[in-house]
Amino acid sequence: MTHYTKRRIENFLAIGLCTLSAAIGLFWLFFILIDVVVEGVGALNLSLFLEDPVPAGLEGGGLRNAFVGQLLLTVVAALLGVPVGLLGGTFLAEYARGTKIGRTISLLSDIMTSVPSIVIGTFAYALLVKPFGHFNGWAGSFALALIMIPIIIRTTEEMLKLVPWELREAALALGAPYYRVILSVVYRGAAPGILTGILLSIARVAGETAPLLFTSFNNTFFSVNMNEPVPSLTVTVFQYAMGPYESWHAQAWAASLVITFFILLVTLVGRFIIFRRYGKWKTL
Amino acid sequence: MEDIVIDVQGLNFYYAGNIHALKNISLSIQANTVTAFIGPSGCGKTTFLRCLNRMHDLYPGNRYEGRIIIDGRNILEKDIDLIKLRSKIGMVFQKPTPFPMSIFENIAFGLRLMGIKNKGELSDRVEKALKDAALWDETKDRLHKSAYSLSGGQQQRLCIARAIAVKPEIILMDEPCSALDPIATGKIEDLITELKEDYTVIIVTHNMQQAARVSDYTAFFMMGELIEYDKTEKIFTNPSNKLTEDYITGRFG
Repeated sequence: MTHYTKRRIENFLAIGLCTLSAAIGLFWLFFILIDVVVEGVGALNLSLFLEDPVPAGLEGGGLRNAFVGQLLLTVVAALLGVPVGLLGGTFLAEYARGTKIGRTISLLSDIMTSVPSIVIGTFAYALLVKPFGHFNGWAGSFALALIMIPIIIRTTEEMLKLVPWELREAALALGAPYYRVILSVVYRGAAPGILTGILLSIARVAGETAPLLFTSFNNTFFSVNMNEPVPSLTVTVFQYAMGPYESWHAQAWAASLVITFFILLVTLVGRFIIFRRYGKWKTL
Repeated sequence: MEDIVIDVQGLNFYYAGNIHALKNISLSIQANTVTAFIGPSGCGKTTFLRCLNRMHDLYPGNRYEGRIIIDGRNILEKDIDLIKLRSKIGMVFQKPTPFPMSIFENIAFGLRLMGIKNKGELSDRVEKALKDAALWDETKDRLHKSAYSLSGGQQQRLCIARAIAVKPEIILMDEPCSALDPIATGKIEDLITELKEDYTVIIVTHNMQQAARVSDYTAFFMMGELIEYDKTEKIFTNPSNKLTEDYITGRFG
């Protein structure tokens, strides 16, 4: 066998293995997606969005309470998490650049992003549920915010670092105070990337069940009272899927479909912003 | 004696880690002239330029010694207001540094920092700056387009426009043409010659023909020392120092 043939075979094998691995990964992804679509579409109807659940075992009703609750929990989580994440990322990229403390916080944030979300749920439970004696929406949003913060910190930091250092010097050389440089020049340059990071972090928490299970728990009634248990789609899917009724299963499928497409949509919007800014489908 | 704008006396500069980058520099710069700093890479010319607007303060551990007198004050003093200082001294960088905003906003940025809020005044000053930077004709129909839509040479002229819009006394240029083609370079050089009517210009350049073309005075640096500083004509035709002669005749560096 010539050297050339050997190299060709190696090349062929390497490409083959890579393709196969990608195919295995994609197979399960599409398997799940198709399953969710096939099972979910049948149960999709208007009353799912407009009606509250009926007593267990009865036909009909919807999950309006869970849709609204999910939205409420996510929005409050974003309101808590986005400012902290944004400012934290700004601190790391602008004020703590190259310092030991900056690198340490970056590393800890990376670790935080991979902490199992159930751990964060139990943490929120100990902090905001146990002392008050009952599940509540604040605890749920707090847990989701804790998941969002390290993601936003790291993407903000990375996006700010992509803004050329010379731009800051140029703005400072014009006599701008540093905070103005950050607000008017650096943020503007990094805005699409930061926004994408925020959207992706929202997409990430929108599908979380574990951190809500111990915190906001669930509520079969319509409730926007954050001091009480707040219903959420993910926990509802979890409970309905485990439940004994056919109508519950159908609604769980439909709810899964809606969450999946919501997350897909948010992710695509995020990617699209990056695409428009950088001209390529860059991943974060 | 002519009007001295910058008077440097015994300046020493140390980068973090006590790296002695500038050694006992003394020179004075006349108003409304163009002064070129030349010398081999790493000789300290850019380092010196960045002392003049205290750019080195951005990075911890850097240290100045000596005096740089501008407007009767030693700008190396601790209590000097850097924001005020930098608004008096414009700077143009090696690579064009347009901000991620429209052409108009790029120039309005500095004006707004000065506290100009009136829309009419803003647009007058933006127009004036673009005209002075010989960029008006090319940009007047697209002022609200992104500055990144301009070519490299136009971007660099935009940066010059941005610097002169705030009416500084001194303009520092750090190899402003090194990323540009000869035609864009020619335009910027013409501009520099015009700028000296209103401003004092200091330009760092690697291109000795450029130094000879645009400058009235030339300072030759080597290994952190100021080897020779004189009228450009003298430096290029009859340098007093052997090192200067070797450098400008291309024997090293």
